[in-house]
Amino acid sequence: MPLSTSVPAIEVQGVSRDFEGKLALDDVSLRVGSGEIHALLGPNGAGKTTLIRILSGLTAPTSGTIRVLGIDGAKAGRNLQRLIALIPSGDRTFYLRLSGLENLLFFGRLYGLTFRTAAARARMALNSVGLADAVDLQTARYSHGMQKRLAVARALLIQAPVLLVDEPTHNLDPEGAERVRGLIREAAGSGAAVVWTTQRVDEIRGFAETVTLLHRGKVRFSGTVTQLLAHAARRTYLLRVRNGQVPSSGLQAALTAALGDEGTITTTSGDPDGCVLSLPEGVTLGEALARLMAAGFQILACRDERPAIEQAFLQLTGEGS
Amino acid sequence: MIGGGALDRGPWAGMLEELGKLPAFLRRDFLIAWSYRVGFVLDMVNILAQAVLFYFVSLLVDPRRIPSVGGVPTSYIAFVAVGIAVGSLLNLGMGRMMSAIRGEQLMGTLESLLATPTSGTTIQVGLVLYDLIYLPLRTGVLLALMAMVFDVDFRLSGVGPSLAIVAALVPFVWGLGAASAAAVMVFRQASGLVGIGGYVLGLLSGAYFPLTLLPPGAEALARLNPIALALNGLREALLAGTGWEPALARIAVLLPVAAVTWLAGTTAFRLAQAHERRAGTLGLY
Repeated sequence: MPLSTSVPAIEVQGVSRDFEGKLALDDVSLRVGSGEIHALLGPNGAGKTTLIRILSGLTAPTSGTIRVLGIDGAKAGRNLQRLIALIPSGDRTFYLRLSGLENLLFFGRLYGLTFRTAAARARMALNSVGLADAVDLQTARYSHGMQKRLAVARALLIQAPVLLVDEPTHNLDPEGAERVRGLIREAAGSGAAVVWTTQRVDEIRGFAETVTLLHRGKVRFSGTVTQLLAHAARRTYLLRVRNGQVPSSGLQAALTAALGDEGTITTTSGDPDGCVLSLPEGVTLGEALARLMAAGFQILACRDERPAIEQAFLQLTGEGS
Repeated sequence: MIGGGALDRGPWAGMLEELGKLPAFLRRDFLIAWSYRVGFVLDMVNILAQAVLFYFVSLLVDPRRIPSVGGVPTSYIAFVAVGIAVGSLLNLGMGRMMSAIRGEQLMGTLESLLATPTSGTTIQVGLVLYDLIYLPLRTGVLLALMAMVFDVDFRLSGVGPSLAIVAALVPFVWGLGAASAAAVMVFRQASGLVGIGGYVLGLLSGAYFPLTLLPPGAEALARLNPIALALNGLREALLAGTGWEPALARIAVLLPVAAVTWLAGTTAFRLAQAHERRAGTLGLY
């Protein structure tokens, strides 16, 4: 069966999965193109890992279909697994008595690589994930971060057109997380379709192109990251303002009067200059700040109380209020 | 460059690719076993200890109570040497696939293994391949020790027929091992049940005592046991040098039973894999 580039790399259509009567996934659909990083966002128990397991052939869906590069997952058998590299969320996915190189060699051979190709690619992959110095070290001696990078190396080894990445930066330090994201970005740049699960909303911006937000097994949102941000209806900012002519006892009233109907503002206890500004839909931050400055307030500092993407996440999962 | 490999493989190319994966399992298991070097030494010490134990037991046994083998009178140590060899082959062969699956479950590598495009049959063979090579070597060492230290007289002419009988027995043991592994995959803690099965098979095999000592009903049942059949054949070949003709007669009976057991075991393993995928519990332990 020839691979077609005109079809999406991954197509999930109406997939549901229940475990002893409990619905883990409910009518989930998504499409991911080649070279695209698609974030599967959701809190714990949203169904992200179940969907990854279904896509990788480890779990069967109760209903619905998946297609990988146009090939029906239900009929593909082992051909499905030839197209997919999985980076599982767990740590314990390697033979701890073997070195990193021997682990990659073993898995490379199971993907049908010859010994020579597997060895060459394993060294290259270990090098690219920064484990060149730990090639011959027993995996048992690898740190948590090193094992994660080894899992990425295993996925890169087979150069699969589809990468399924399950919470890879969980428990990683910021530097390690950025390194993993960089490697996945490179793989996507080479044409791999990537599904990246995360519960860290801050991770998506500037990394994923598209996102599916799962909550309790249901799709709450599907679209681009920019479209997701549009759901951040209520925005809140922490301000530090000063007006030498208004006594602190009258600050709250003066701020409210200055802002008018362009939002609500409340002073904070502990910081005489601190206040919280909330903007309704349709009002920009610039408009609100202009009103305050026009009333003689100096804006000393202004920052998001919570990143907009996180607000969108909470709004869509119904946990924002 | 994104690959993923060609998808349309002919049956022969697919089979060759699967065969090409077996050395990877062998290398993996050898390296893991080698990383526990003390284990090798202890296993050899264990073999020797077993031999010494049965040597002293043999001093207590009246040779007249041991039935002649192929018309040739034999000692208890010679009788039991073949029994120990086959008994350890059965125990390790049956338990190995089960413990390999359980080990992969507990290590967390089973999912990684099953996420690769590797057939169930290749995984089954791969998991026991190292033992398929190591166990006959181990058995050979045991028999050589018996011959050298305790002066057991094995007939060299019996080596060929014996290997043929063992080869016919392997699918039987493999089938039992695959069925045990399937049970472990689905029920997790199934080793107790499998242990009882192994014990009953061992008890009714005549490995350590003649079947004639069993009560009549149990003896009749034991004579149907493929392990007992193989053991009798091996003793005739190795201790009496009866040659190929009786060995082939045993093999003719053994092979269909072994084939059915192998088919049932491997089918159970495939069904267990499919069950776990449906249940979504493949990685649970």
